[in-house]
Amino acid sequence: MSKDASGEKGVEKDYSKSASFRLLLRLVAPYRRLALLTVLALLCDITGMLYIPTELSALINTAVSSTDAGGMLAHGISMLVAAVVGSGGCLVSYWLASRLAARVGRDMRVAVYEKSLELGGYDFDQLGTGSMITRTLSDANVVQQTFLMTFIMLAPVPVICVVAIVLAFGIDYVMGWLLLAITLVMGAVMVVAVKVSAPIFLVLQGFIDNMNTRLRETITGIRVIRAFGREDAERRNLDATFEDYARNAIHVNLVFATADCMTFFLMNVVEVLVVWLGADRVGVHAMQIGSISALVEYAMLIMFFMMMGQFAILQLPRAMACLTRASEVLAVEPRVRDREAPAALVAADPTVPVARFDHVSFRFADADEDTLRDLSFSLSRGEVTAVIGSTGSGKSTIAKMLLRFHDVTDGRVEFLGRDVRGVGQHELRDHIAYVPQKAWLFSGTIAQNLRDGNPDATDEELWHAVDVAQGAFVHELPDGLDARVSQGGSNFSGGQRQRLAIARALARKADLYVFDDSFSALDYKTDARLRHAIRAELADAAVLIIAQRVSTIRDAAQIVVLRDGEVVGLGTHDELLATCPTYLAIAESQERGGDDDE
Amino acid sequence: MSEEEEKDVPTNGRATALRLWRSAAGIRWRLVVAAVAAVLYVATDLATPVYAASLIDHLWAGIQRAFASGRTFRVTMENGGVDILVYLGIWMLAWAFYSVQSLVMASFAERLNLKLREEISRKVERLPLRYFDSHKPGDTISRATNDLDKVSEVLQRGLLQIIISAITLVGALVLMARMSLLLTGVFLAFAVLSAVLTKVVAARTLAVAARRQDVLGRLTGRVEEAYSGRAVIKAFGREEESLARVREDAEELAQVSAHADFLTNAISPAIRFLMRLAQVICGVLAGGMLVAGRITVGTFQAFFQYVLKASEPLTQLSLTLNMLQGALAAAERVFVLLDEEEVVPDPKEPATLAEPVRGRVAFEHVRFGYAPDKPLMRDVSFVARPGQKVAIVGQTGAGKTTLINLLMRFYEVDGGRITLDGTDTRSLARADLRRQFGMVLQDSWLFEGTVAQNIAYGHPGATREEVEAAARAAHVDYFVRTLPEGYDTMLANDAENVSQGQRQLLTIARAMLTDPAILILDEATSSVDTRTEQYITRAMEAIMADRTSFVIAHRLSTIVDADLILVMDHGDIVEKGSHRELLEQDGVYADLYRSQFA
Repeated sequence: MSKDASGEKGVEKDYSKSASFRLLLRLVAPYRRLALLTVLALLCDITGMLYIPTELSALINTAVSSTDAGGMLAHGISMLVAAVVGSGGCLVSYWLASRLAARVGRDMRVAVYEKSLELGGYDFDQLGTGSMITRTLSDANVVQQTFLMTFIMLAPVPVICVVAIVLAFGIDYVMGWLLLAITLVMGAVMVVAVKVSAPIFLVLQGFIDNMNTRLRETITGIRVIRAFGREDAERRNLDATFEDYARNAIHVNLVFATADCMTFFLMNVVEVLVVWLGADRVGVHAMQIGSISALVEYAMLIMFFMMMGQFAILQLPRAMACLTRASEVLAVEPRVRDREAPAALVAADPTVPVARFDHVSFRFADADEDTLRDLSFSLSRGEVTAVIGSTGSGKSTIAKMLLRFHDVTDGRVEFLGRDVRGVGQHELRDHIAYVPQKAWLFSGTIAQNLRDGNPDATDEELWHAVDVAQGAFVHELPDGLDARVSQGGSNFSGGQRQRLAIARALARKADLYVFDDSFSALDYKTDARLRHAIRAELADAAVLIIAQRVSTIRDAAQIVVLRDGEVVGLGTHDELLATCPTYLAIAESQERGGDDDE
Repeated sequence: MSEEEEKDVPTNGRATALRLWRSAAGIRWRLVVAAVAAVLYVATDLATPVYAASLIDHLWAGIQRAFASGRTFRVTMENGGVDILVYLGIWMLAWAFYSVQSLVMASFAERLNLKLREEISRKVERLPLRYFDSHKPGDTISRATNDLDKVSEVLQRGLLQIIISAITLVGALVLMARMSLLLTGVFLAFAVLSAVLTKVVAARTLAVAARRQDVLGRLTGRVEEAYSGRAVIKAFGREEESLARVREDAEELAQVSAHADFLTNAISPAIRFLMRLAQVICGVLAGGMLVAGRITVGTFQAFFQYVLKASEPLTQLSLTLNMLQGALAAAERVFVLLDEEEVVPDPKEPATLAEPVRGRVAFEHVRFGYAPDKPLMRDVSFVARPGQKVAIVGQTGAGKTTLINLLMRFYEVDGGRITLDGTDTRSLARADLRRQFGMVLQDSWLFEGTVAQNIAYGHPGATREEVEAAARAAHVDYFVRTLPEGYDTMLANDAENVSQGQRQLLTIARAMLTDPAILILDEATSSVDTRTEQYITRAMEAIMADRTSFVIAHRLSTIVDADLILVMDHGDIVEKGSHRELLEQDGVYADLYRSQFA
């Protein structure tokens, strides 16, 4: 385990272009036929595009050498066919490419999301929520758009070069060589232009991000900035960021403008060369006068597409970075894994504790110290166990170990007599009802949220859970259980959210109920009523309450006092008051002021 | 492509354009030079086919003469070479004008944007809190970034493009008409057709893009909430349901975006197809005229060059005109921000507070409402004597934060007055007033910088010793030392390596370091556990000696020792007095107190 951790940074470095390229191939693989069709359509497009000037020049040649009106019409018809095939091919290829890119983007989003569900709490936190959202959504979007652009702007480049040069050789070998030379020179210029501009282009992206960050910081922190009188300093900071961006953006624009002008220059030289050499070749009967305009058109098309290709290439590094970020996620080996054939949990005889911590230690992969050290205690059916301790003492980690969000580094956690590491995560969690510290709800209705706890619950059962959770306010909502919940549950107060989260857990029939600091937003009255109701409701199950208030847990069957990851006290409220200084200190600090009332 | 949810049409395009022109003071010469160069470029560019026609005719005549006398033809300096070089010369002239135009414009847009961005940062400094409280940060940020980027993109490429396209189109048509009215008529018919097509498709594209934005928004919401509520999804084994929902949204997004991308990209090839049809018909017709000797080979080719020249701007024009509209709408949004009402400037000759500031704060019949028609505070009066601890109690929305807002002059009173040491706070400079306060706010804002820089935020000249002393006093020194680089560890605003409680401790250290006369604690201790809170309270008590302090807290245990408790309800103070006095009154406070400690 710890070995994995030290490898983490090294792994990140190893992710290079190859990883992102492999991911790209993996994403495209299911759509090989679609990709092939797209390329075929593209071929039609370009052939048609080049065939029109070819036929046009043939038409001129016919016109100047004979008076055959029928021949002219034939050329006209084949031009028409070329136009239809070319434009049709183009439209079809765009249509196919749009679909292809959209599917690649979709699959990337779904793949990253699916992977995220596999990751444990630690794995995910290492990546960070913000970064994961970016990877799932905007990274996929960049890849999708770049992929599409590659088909539209980049893929035609080699095709048009080859077809145009072949056609030129067909007209006259000297002109063929000329076009080949032009292509090579233009290619060289483009390589240089991309090499010069790619790095600054990437840097520019960084400056854009800086502007956004600074602005956001200034706006969200406006009260603090003004309270401390730092308006001036913040403005100078902002201005500096704006100037940095402007300077770099101008630099990039100048590079582009220069490349643009150079291409224009080259086009002029090429056109004159084609006319000069073309006239020469016509003069020795090697080709006909009309072909000059076809050749000029070929050359212009080659250069135009190369220009476009250059812009497309500049977008590639960014898309590659996005792919790399996604492949990093996909390559994460979840720290918590299920065995090949996980054991099933069977309700053992009631004397076996529902869960047991047996000399459990846990250390985060990147930490120097244990978060939990040598923990031993049992959670028995019909009993309330409470955990108390200060912030950072490892309280929440206990709940997460029971749920296998983390696995032990030492010792073992047992559930219904089995080591949880041998039990499938799904199977294990089926037996636990959990109220997280952050009472998070999903957008939808209250009923939908409660049914996350138990999909098969009837409305009566849901109402019952709501009532036990002291959620009387739900009765007052016009839509009752069907009331809308907005993202995160933000249309409910903290206390209401907490009660709904509790109701969600109560809707489930479980062997163990875990309340992770779930009463903090409730006033003392509701807190007391709720505890009372829960005790009656969950008489057959084990209950674990993680709390900060002594009053919440004073009548628990056993209280575990944690300090810096270690158990410093284990017993009832009264025992601990007598024997555990840490507990006494906590209790005293909270009951000061309440004393004279009791 | 366009991530458009805002209006894309300016309400007063002319006024906005004029204001942009005024904003460009100092760099306007660039625009003038570029415009002149652009016009000259178009003129030269249009001249080239005319010259090319005579050049080809000249060469063809030479070739035919040579063939007639049984000789071959070679281009030499005397034999057409000079004419070809003149041709090159004309092209180079066009190139020179083009280069001037594009290099001069390369920095115009970003210079203008920099000016506007600096205006925005000055504006942010002067906007009232009212503005920030009623606008999402993202809205303001996107004006400074996305909206201005839209403006610069159009200025960069679009503005001159419109000039160039318009002149090219008209010029090419005139010149074509001089060669053949019939052919021009055919072309014109197709041109009108393609203009109509562009309009229709553009409207469709906008509609689809809006739908795509909708679906993307839905998916983003879905993923965001799923990542925030991961623990719930996993604990309740709802991974599959969640994945199915994301998959569904991703699928819909894929379909919409394939459609949107296709429409966006298909417009050019569709128009190109119409233009090709025009070419084919013109080609056949012109071929007949060539046979009949009514036009020359050169004219034939020149005509086609004009057809090509005129086709391009046709697509360009309609697209850039749309872009121009969008950019003007964006600029308008920026100007709306710049025109927002500003805070009342500080008095010309602000009053000064007698040093040392004693910290006597008095509210005298203060009246205030966030909206003029919805008064919140009707008549609030109280006196906080120097060194007193004033606790503010009440439900969410009772006006606790409002009291602080008025005290710090984040908002101005509508009636009555607030005095500090007997001086009306409105007669003071805001900076002088705020310097007297130290505050710890509900959201613990940290900026991107080191831990030490963050603690020293209100006192940039603080030594490392002073910073560490403040950290020790706030009980955060130990935590800071466990960070990889101690006080030099970089923090980001979304830093996930610092817990909410620790962030709050850091902001407390920050407030402590400024050594203010008055302290404000706005629900600061709500996410710190009781034990740590106890430490903080003790440390606070120490520095609160001889300081007036205002404390807002949910838990009554922390404020029972306050000298003055203000019980607020619906904006007004309903009870005030000490803990004992209020208990004896047996009113709202007594009820609240009993409910928490019963």
